[in-house]
Amino acid sequence: MPGKILPTLLLTAFCLLVLLGSSFLGMTIISPASILETGSPDAEVFWRLRLPRSIAAFFAGAALAVSGMVFQAMFRNPLATPFTLGVSSGAALGASLAIMLGLSTALPGIPAGLCAALLGCLLSMLLVCGITRARGGFSTPVMLLAGVIINFFFSSLVMFIQYWSDARDALQIMRWLMGSLSGLEPVHIADLGMITAMGSLLLSRFTRELDLLLAGKELAASRGVAVQRVTLTAFALASLMVAAVVSLAGPIGFVGMMAPHICRLWLGAGHERLLPASFVMGGCFLVLCDLLSRSVLAPAELPIGIITAMIGGPFFLWTLFKSNRNSEML
Amino acid sequence: MKRALYCEHFGFTLTGKPILQGICFSLQKGEYLSIIGPNGSGKSTLLKCLLRLHDSGHAQGEILLYDRPVRDHTQRELARHMAYVPQAGGPIPPFTVAELLTLSRFPHASHKRAMTDSDQKAILYALELTDMQKFARHRLSALSGGERQRAFLAAALAQDTGILLLDEPAAFLDPHHAAALTALLKRLHEHEGKTVVTVTHDLNHPLDAGGQVLVLRHGRQIFNGPATALACPGILETAFEHSFTYILHPGTGRPLVLADHA
Repeated sequence: MPGKILPTLLLTAFCLLVLLGSSFLGMTIISPASILETGSPDAEVFWRLRLPRSIAAFFAGAALAVSGMVFQAMFRNPLATPFTLGVSSGAALGASLAIMLGLSTALPGIPAGLCAALLGCLLSMLLVCGITRARGGFSTPVMLLAGVIINFFFSSLVMFIQYWSDARDALQIMRWLMGSLSGLEPVHIADLGMITAMGSLLLSRFTRELDLLLAGKELAASRGVAVQRVTLTAFALASLMVAAVVSLAGPIGFVGMMAPHICRLWLGAGHERLLPASFVMGGCFLVLCDLLSRSVLAPAELPIGIITAMIGGPFFLWTLFKSNRNSEML
Repeated sequence: MKRALYCEHFGFTLTGKPILQGICFSLQKGEYLSIIGPNGSGKSTLLKCLLRLHDSGHAQGEILLYDRPVRDHTQRELARHMAYVPQAGGPIPPFTVAELLTLSRFPHASHKRAMTDSDQKAILYALELTDMQKFARHRLSALSGGERQRAFLAAALAQDTGILLLDEPAAFLDPHHAAALTALLKRLHEHEGKTVVTVTHDLNHPLDAGGQVLVLRHGRQIFNGPATALACPGILETAFEHSFTYILHPGTGRPLVLADHA
């Protein structure tokens, strides 16, 4: 345990540096001294707009990266992400319905969009698991295929809802589908932070099981892993985190695939190190993407999904070609 | 002597198709069992059923592990009693040999997760037995097929169980390492009292290793008895629908089986 204190402190310091640094930067650069002046416009912008938004971006990126890591380990496939498994589109369907129906608050402190996205996520999970079981057993390729089918089906339903909605709702859905972290209430950020932290903490209990699943389902079972229970628990936790992100910030792509994969190439496949690394990598990456999204075309704002794909794609390809571990499955 | 494994009229059906039917054998603690049969006869399926590795399919009859039904054990309990060496050729796990061996200690791990002295000892002993010390830090993907197979055997040994289940362990090994593997399995069985169950296509392996042999054909058991019975014509011809020549090794005088050319 003492050996973990220094890396934890270093990672925490790095995250704080990124969070604070990105909050000082933007359309205008805020000087560190001005944030302590009560009532100054810079302090207002820093404390009320930029810092909460950076925190939201950090938790959203961390949640997407950790859930991507879990899906990649479970399916032994670097392309297994919340998107390919239909989890994101389930959440998107729920959240789109909430926008179209004009739902605002479901429970005190919990927005209707989050509840609807969670329900959509749950529906996609039930359908994916149901299709997999109906096909016999708990086959990973069948589960992956079922996820792809559900993804396409739910995406078309989202498009249908968009088509069916009035112009204002359709525009709101379209903007939300591109991904944005602007205008989040502190209570939403607190919800997102709590779900991300709890989900990641619970998943950290399964790091050795995820290592063994990476070595193959049969091998994992032969070493004592209750494969079905672990897979379902990890799938549910990862989906919950994705649902929280999608409901609040829209379906932001690439982070869930890229961050854990790059960390794996740097640190190896062991999840004890990979989980905190993916958490930090995903979080910091999305904070930097958010900084770009509000700076590049300022005062206009570029959807964050465009930034993640534009940076993530080439970087991912570069890392992939740099690596020579072709014979391994991840 | 205590009964390690007992199969009583065991059958296994997958998507309505019977894969195994009426399998009966009893294996005492410290005994050696070779499972042979043509391709598709259900050898690997039987091995996986012993460890409850199938996530689908329907089982009939009963498999007892130390006189308790396998289905009543948790997966972790099964892993404390039985270690499995899978058939070579699947995707390569992205780990080093040492990491693979460390993962094999999972069934014995406490909630604190820290490596104990017994974990370290088991890993070092497994590396030594399989002559894999120098490869400990190598990635599995950087090893040859034979070396990787020995790494998986080392991982099973690091699990430190009373029963070893091996699915064609010599498939990728050259004659030198195949002979060394047979010698190692005999040593584990004779000197350390391990119960060994191995699926093999090498028909001389049961004759070398001794113990029992289980011969399967189309998912049915056509023979279960002493491995020496394979040295006499009849069983292999029925199982493989092929003719064989039975000779004695000119040097050692041990019986050998040679498959005739078609």
